[in-house]
Amino acid sequence: MVEQLKKRFRLLSSIIEAFIKEPETVNYPFGELDLPETFRGAIVFDPEKCIGCGLCVRNCPADALQMDKKSRDEFKLIHYPARCAYCGQCEDDCRHGAISHSNRLVDPIRDPEGYVVVLHERKDETLA
Amino acid sequence: MIEGLLNLLFFPGMAFQVICALSFEWLDRKLLALFQRRVGPPWYQPLADMIKLFSKEDLLPKGVNDRVAGLLPIVSLASVLTAGLYIPVAGFSPSAFEGDLIVILFLMSVPTLAYYLAGILSIGIYSVLGGGRSLLQYFSYEVPFLIALSGPAIMAGSWSIEGIIRSQYLLGPFIIYQPLGFILAIVGLIGKLKRDPLDIPSASSEVVGGSLTEYTGTKLALWHLAMNVQAVVGIFLLINLFLGWTKLANPIVAVIVFVFECLILAAVLSATSAVFARLRIDQLAGMGWRILVPLALAQLAMIILMGV
Amino acid sequence: MAKISIPIGPQHPLLKEPLSMKVDISGEKVYGASLRLGYVHRGIERLAQQRNYVQNVHLIERICGICSHIHTTTYCHAVESLLKIEVPLRAHYLRALMCELERIHSHLLWLGILAKHVGLETIFMYTWHDRELALDIMEEITGGRVLHAANQIGGVRFDLDKDHIAMIHRTVDKLHNKLDRLLDVIENEPTLIARTRGVAPVSTELIKKYCVVGPVARASNVDVDMRRDNPLPPYDQLSFSVVTFQEGDALARTRVRAYEIRESIYLCEQILEDIPDGPVSTRVPRKVPEGEVIIRSEAPRGELFYYVRSDGTDKPARLKIRTPTLAALCLLPVQMSEIQVADIPVVLAGVDLCVACADR
Repeated sequence: MVEQLKKRFRLLSSIIEAFIKEPETVNYPFGELDLPETFRGAIVFDPEKCIGCGLCVRNCPADALQMDKKSRDEFKLIHYPARCAYCGQCEDDCRHGAISHSNRLVDPIRDPEGYVVVLHERKDETLA
Repeated sequence: MIEGLLNLLFFPGMAFQVICALSFEWLDRKLLALFQRRVGPPWYQPLADMIKLFSKEDLLPKGVNDRVAGLLPIVSLASVLTAGLYIPVAGFSPSAFEGDLIVILFLMSVPTLAYYLAGILSIGIYSVLGGGRSLLQYFSYEVPFLIALSGPAIMAGSWSIEGIIRSQYLLGPFIIYQPLGFILAIVGLIGKLKRDPLDIPSASSEVVGGSLTEYTGTKLALWHLAMNVQAVVGIFLLINLFLGWTKLANPIVAVIVFVFECLILAAVLSATSAVFARLRIDQLAGMGWRILVPLALAQLAMIILMGV
Repeated sequence: MAKISIPIGPQHPLLKEPLSMKVDISGEKVYGASLRLGYVHRGIERLAQQRNYVQNVHLIERICGICSHIHTTTYCHAVESLLKIEVPLRAHYLRALMCELERIHSHLLWLGILAKHVGLETIFMYTWHDRELALDIMEEITGGRVLHAANQIGGVRFDLDKDHIAMIHRTVDKLHNKLDRLLDVIENEPTLIARTRGVAPVSTELIKKYCVVGPVARASNVDVDMRRDNPLPPYDQLSFSVVTFQEGDALARTRVRAYEIRESIYLCEQILEDIPDGPVSTRVPRKVPEGEVIIRSEAPRGELFYYVRSDGTDKPARLKIRTPTLAALCLLPVQMSEIQVADIPVVLAGVDLCVACADR
């Protein structure tokens, strides 16, 4: 009988309990946001490890990476953060660990098509 | 004359009631948010909303009589402000006369009629539906509400609120003798204010905004203000009819007790709004006539028997 | 009273996604409705023919936000069976874990939406708060709350270590307690029951005639569940029960989904106990040999159907998707007769619309 009554008033007791506890919302952007390590945020690039193979470009679903390759030692890799889907496929495909995701959030972008980041540019020194 | 003008404009007239209305809206929204584990709006939110609405463009669909549509919110606001003039606040009642309870109840029904007319007037489909529902709802809750509110009047033997309060000085608060009447009065008040669980006319899932779907700008601000003042006037009325205490010597203590009772009643209204789902209009009509009216009549019979 | 026709959509407070419905009413009584879709059509099937199989995994994930993982799982199963490769068992278990978590989050979302339409906003806030627990698990292990990018052709892209497993156990226990509170409310709250009991009952014959699947069918005593009838691994080794009710009204549909959350919690615990060790993915060749395959699986809303045809290159020749919402939407105009205007939100919520899935 008491169990039945308790079940009937379950919602009322829940709201009184909620009134006593703290609210569950984060006052973003003034409060802290707790992102895990695995969150796929902005792209970070390590130019030392990149050899210009182009595997990351081949499988990008959003055409966010583009490579102008003239020879083995002269190439330019550019990245469009506005087109990027933050899926992590380039991170999986790169065999040398040059491109990866940090867990930083990307800032709002005002000019999507004009926002271009040159990730790696290597010029052929011998031909100068 | 000067005193009458001060009563009209400041206390317990326009300024006092408008401030109470904005505070009530904030209290209601904040309590609801805290019950739902959210943060809720800051204290100036209702005032900011009103100022923002005053600055918006005032549009109505083509073919709507603009002057009548503008007159309706003004009439409802005026009638509830006038009703509030005659309700004692913490024992202070500058203008009281025999029969003012009936006048107050009549004045508080004017906004419902105005809401219905506003729905019919703005020709949109959702407005017409909302307006029709509001009238159906009116027929379901008003009868038990009036019967419940005439209980204290019969027990006190007078149709003036001042007389009812004086009778409570002798007998004690009427809630002890008529708890059922108090509960019915609260249910009737929820229906009159069109709050959850009886906000059928303005159920946003079904009829986007009810009668007020097409209203914007200053007219909408006045409508919201009228509804909030109606809430405050209703709460004051209920406190005076059921929760009047023995005459307190110190007016400060009387004010504190009054404010405390207001807060309790506002919390009860917010809690019922959080706990119940919205009823359907046929369920409300069934509940109103099959359960509430017999209970109200039973309560009335008990009062008459007690008096004898 | 005269008959008028009110528009529900494309923009309406009821709808999360655009949909156009014209409902004929007279007073408070509804006579019928007509439906029009296509506002969220993005041409996914055509776009899929222009991208290679690896890029398509990410495209398919973006068909729907609520059931994104089951779409990619089914697609990966289809491509793996065309390639005739053996995916490690640990990958299957991890995929099933994410599927069940997704089912939990989808049903909790749906319960919140139903409560909001009925006027009980408190339950909306509480269920969406509990849903954050499931989303936090998914974010911790895969890196995304809604778009997980967890699947790849040949396996999965994430793995669980001891800390993750302990965290999942703790959170699933918390979810279990919160679910008990929710079930108490659904079974005992008088206003909620009064709004949903007896509303738009659908008979078993009507379900079979319109080929409706998912919880809507299970609420009308049609016992169909792809996880049991046509199981993809590892469901053939897991034990669970299929929840059915008989009445077929809105209350039955609510209870089906609420009890399915409990079954999903049990499945999560079983998966965590039985998960074998091993690799989580294998290497796959780039070009897929010619062939065609049909794969069916159980999305939160019902049976999901994928047909993939390949012609030997690295781009699919044809991809055809039939989502469960499409079948349920066909039933909607039939349900909209003999109800009241106040029941329209309840009926619409009972179908559990995911128009993005239906339109692709």
